[in-house]
Amino acid sequence: MNDPLARLSEAPLSRRRFLQASGLVGVSAFLAACVGGAASETPSTTGTPAPSPTAPPTPTPAPATPKAVTGPLHFANWTAYIDLAGKAGEAGEYAPGSSPTLEGFKKKYSVDVDYQEKIDANPSFIATIQPALNNGLSTGWDLIVLTDSFAAQLIGKGWIEAIDHANTPNCVQNLRQPLRGVSWDPDNNYHYPWQSGMTGVGYSAKALTDAKIAAPTKVADLWSIPSNKVTFLEEARDTFGLTLLKLGIDPNPDTVTEADLQQVYDAIEPLVGQGLRFTGNSYLQDFGQKKVWAAMVWSGDLASSGEPDDKFVFPEEGTMIWTDNMLIPKGAQNKYTAELMMDYVYDPAIAAQIADYVYYVSPVEGAAEVMKTLDPTLLQNPLVFPPQDVIAKQKNFQFLKPEIEAKMNDLFGQLSGA
Amino acid sequence: MAATTLPARASGPSLMARISRATPYLLLLPGVAYLVVFYAVPSFQMFLYSISTGNVDSGYQANAGLANYATALQLYTRQIWNSILYGGLATILTLLIGFPVAYTVAFRGGRYKNLILFLVIAPFFTSFLIRTISWKILLGDEGPLLGTLKHTLGILPADFSLTGTPIAQLFGITYNFLPFMILPLYVALEKIDPRLLEAAGDLYANRVASFRRITVPLALPGIFAGTLLTFIPAMGDYVNAELLGNPTTQMLGNVIQRKLLVQNDFPVGAALSFILMGGILVAVFVYARLLGTEQLTG
Repeated sequence: MNDPLARLSEAPLSRRRFLQASGLVGVSAFLAACVGGAASETPSTTGTPAPSPTAPPTPTPAPATPKAVTGPLHFANWTAYIDLAGKAGEAGEYAPGSSPTLEGFKKKYSVDVDYQEKIDANPSFIATIQPALNNGLSTGWDLIVLTDSFAAQLIGKGWIEAIDHANTPNCVQNLRQPLRGVSWDPDNNYHYPWQSGMTGVGYSAKALTDAKIAAPTKVADLWSIPSNKVTFLEEARDTFGLTLLKLGIDPNPDTVTEADLQQVYDAIEPLVGQGLRFTGNSYLQDFGQKKVWAAMVWSGDLASSGEPDDKFVFPEEGTMIWTDNMLIPKGAQNKYTAELMMDYVYDPAIAAQIADYVYYVSPVEGAAEVMKTLDPTLLQNPLVFPPQDVIAKQKNFQFLKPEIEAKMNDLFGQLSGA
Repeated sequence: MAATTLPARASGPSLMARISRATPYLLLLPGVAYLVVFYAVPSFQMFLYSISTGNVDSGYQANAGLANYATALQLYTRQIWNSILYGGLATILTLLIGFPVAYTVAFRGGRYKNLILFLVIAPFFTSFLIRTISWKILLGDEGPLLGTLKHTLGILPADFSLTGTPIAQLFGITYNFLPFMILPLYVALEKIDPRLLEAAGDLYANRVASFRRITVPLALPGIFAGTLLTFIPAMGDYVNAELLGNPTTQMLGNVIQRKLLVQNDFPVGAALSFILMGGILVAVFVYARLLGTEQLTG
């Protein structure tokens, strides 16, 4: 049992327990998120439309990065998005709460990693780095993780460093085929996916049972739970996308009309009056404190960091699908180290180790092979390997026409109060 | 000797005299320079934004006139009212809570005076954010207060919440600004000569009358300072609405924060800032006129 991977797979419960026991984890992550843009738990919209997906920036040949490992690597990521040591830590291999992946990286390259769960939602995080990028200054981050359209938007603005593929052979080789050739960066000159996931419905089985409310099976069920015990996502694409599904409208960026969005507004507006709130990842805290009984959530979070009776369901109407991408912001101080990190997490063994904790869909070819030995149950886990009927109902509501995006942001602003 | 120095004197004041005359201005210089650089210049810039159209990418043109102000007033009426409502109510609450405290410390504090004052200031040793987040935990649905009321005592329904309601937000603002009310009140009350109250008693004024005719008028400068120190920042506060409120309780500060930092809508954000500033100026002016400025400086 010297294999840390094997140990890690022993007790998923204890890992969860660990997170809850240290309930402060969420609070500290939240505090960290607050420092930059003041209170960043902002229901928010972005006013800048995403660049047209058909017009990727001209691929510039990546300049060779000086091959010197420098650090510490400043890595901003979302909450509950990397493996953390639980029982393995108690056994002494890794300190509890430390990440085996990050510890392995530190050891391999003898460099420190400043990993912060700083991203609660795309717009609010971008708000904290935008002023620096606008003025050609360093953001202080070497590696950040943003969702598709937001990644495309930053790449389009020339705010992202080109990746030197000579330093990322694992990425070049192991990126899964379906994720290659995206319109906004077809040759992965600027991004590599971190994880993909789905947006669906989460609920606390215990809280709902106590309140004698049936567990939700579809998005529409969120409308019949007391609204002050429900949160939607401050990512407008998720909230509007799922509500479109609930209304029976296909959330297809090409066909959605402003009138459809108005229907979404009309459907959500009454709930706001009854106490509905909009959050990012901090819904994990709300679940922990039973502040929330059911919510729109991202697929892996409750499985990795919720209580055992916090469940995720693929709503009958369908789910939103998205990919979060690693990006190196312009002016990063440790670009080479950031590229090494991209490469490191594209090692199938490491990718499997992360997937075994975060329960998201790994972008790494070959990770499934490793999982067979690491944790065979993972192969049956619908969060990590969504079944066919779920895939059939996945909707991508990421790249919107500018006027649709503007309308959505406007309506969402009215819903969220700003 | 005398002949050579006299004309020099006649030509103007001596160097020393000139320096001493200039001293007040020299002493003002750092403060004024600081205000010009960090307040006047940015304010002017913000004013230009507020009458502009355009965005960060394409630049701004100061050609909008008052259109941004009209948009702001039209779209964010609710948030403007929320600011007035929560700022005003919190000010009244801090006065109602703070006055008895300041009064007790000033007149009955005895040797515990300094200790109590220290306790009033003690929360400042912790960050504003942490204190507000603590409220989130204290008032949490299963927190120490509601958990007990719901499950142990069973007097509240299970879906009852305080966080995410106007009540929590009002409590948060009141709590956070309470010391700004207590301290000026204390300073004013502390200066009252107790012999005035004794004299009132000798002249057959009862306690209520001497409180109304002597204590309150003499405490007015403190009440004025305290309400301003509370009302102005409370109007512009956005942290409490963010952490303890819900979408319907958002205040002007929240909109300004999002306009300027998230949505990059500088023109409307700037217009909102000036609306807030102007509103506060008018409110303070009216308030000062009502109370009477002579009493406050005298």
